[in-house]
Amino acid sequence: MKSIQFVVNGKECTVLCPPAKPLLDVLREDLGLTASKECCGKGECGSCSVLINNEVVCSCLILTGQVENQKITTCEGVGLSPNLDVIQESFIAEGATQCGYCTPGIIVSAKAFLDGIDHVPSVGEIKTALGGNLCRCTGYTKIIKAVQTAASKKRSETETIG
Amino acid sequence: MLVSEIDMITPSSLSECLMLLSKKGRIHRVIAGGTDATVRMKEGKWRPEVWINIKNLNELRYIEESDDCIHIGPLTTHTDIIHSPILQRKADVLVDAAREVGATQMQNMGTIGGNIGTASPAGDTLPALYVLGARLELTSMSNKRTLPIEEFIFGPGRTVLKENEMITKIIIKPQSPNEIGIFQKLGPRKAQSISIVNVAISLTMEQDLKCREGKIAFGSVAPTIIRARKCESMLPLGQLNDELIRNIAKIAWKEVMPITDGRATATYRRDMASALLERGLYRLMRRWNNQ
Repeated sequence: MKSIQFVVNGKECTVLCPPAKPLLDVLREDLGLTASKECCGKGECGSCSVLINNEVVCSCLILTGQVENQKITTCEGVGLSPNLDVIQESFIAEGATQCGYCTPGIIVSAKAFLDGIDHVPSVGEIKTALGGNLCRCTGYTKIIKAVQTAASKKRSETETIG
Repeated sequence: MLVSEIDMITPSSLSECLMLLSKKGRIHRVIAGGTDATVRMKEGKWRPEVWINIKNLNELRYIEESDDCIHIGPLTTHTDIIHSPILQRKADVLVDAAREVGATQMQNMGTIGGNIGTASPAGDTLPALYVLGARLELTSMSNKRTLPIEEFIFGPGRTVLKENEMITKIIIKPQSPNEIGIFQKLGPRKAQSISIVNVAISLTMEQDLKCREGKIAFGSVAPTIIRARKCESMLPLGQLNDELIRNIAKIAWKEVMPITDGRATATYRRDMASALLERGLYRLMRRWNNQ
């Protein structure tokens, strides 16, 4: 057991756990942040996606000892009801979720992607950015639409402020 | 050994890391991105007593050009490679290959040193490194040696790396303006897939669609990456027109030595190796024509 410190969704945390315990398990079991899900457990599905220093990664493959002093953002950190992020609102508006298991991972991936660009992305760009997130219910059309909607809303917001 | 019993040490410098590797005693393994190492730990295949965590050892994460060579640190991620202006200009085939590794998450986590050390016959950056003539610097506490990547890997997952050594640098020759390269991959789907067959091609061009020399390396069709020397020897035989490209692709069908496994049959792999090489050469010729 080791005492490991890091920042989750803006809050400093200290957990006492085996250093080789995957970050996903610590988020869910030790910190009660259950948005990130385990599905394949080997980096193929993206259900466990979180941001580490604003880059999207699979939390099921990162060992907790490796994130000492790093900044982690989960779907809870993107937005929680009633203060949802524009991406989450767009997913609801477009009906881009069915069973919802993959949704937190996709929202986190979309967050990293949209924060890194300043235009409304093409379908091809969104497909590349979300290539690591699998959804077995919706068929992706609505997910892609939701990301585009979020991007246009974000743009119009910045234009209003600017 | 249970996962909960595995310890972790995070060295703060390369020299501290090499010192840890040279120590006898507890069974250790190095972990960086974790895209392979953690999966193997979960499967029970890799259960060291201690992980040596080098994920944030930033002194090994760089892309630099000096002395007519490009030096790449082993902890450079695939995302770093994709966004590197130096590599985009002077090692296009490696950038192409890095784009085909997994998807965004794997590209952010996985490192080039890890891809080399894992030595999978299907590793996507490996054929690109073969055609770029990559050399690897291996360092231990007491020694430093440099050898071509072709001498480093000798079987699936098997390399000449000693227990006390680590890959500390990847050195490639930058492409000159008349060199062009491409990476082609066939997987079960577009993103996030393991190669069924892949091929990297690098050509040195002359006037009139003539190729002075070229290198071709196939992945996933043999126990290691293989250079298609017979195909390479045909490249300078004339203008790279339809006829020559088709003939080279036919030779590729014979030159690869694939097996049947869960992903594809051997015959399908031969057909696809031939088709990918043909498509790659056509695309390169089109690009060269438009330059």
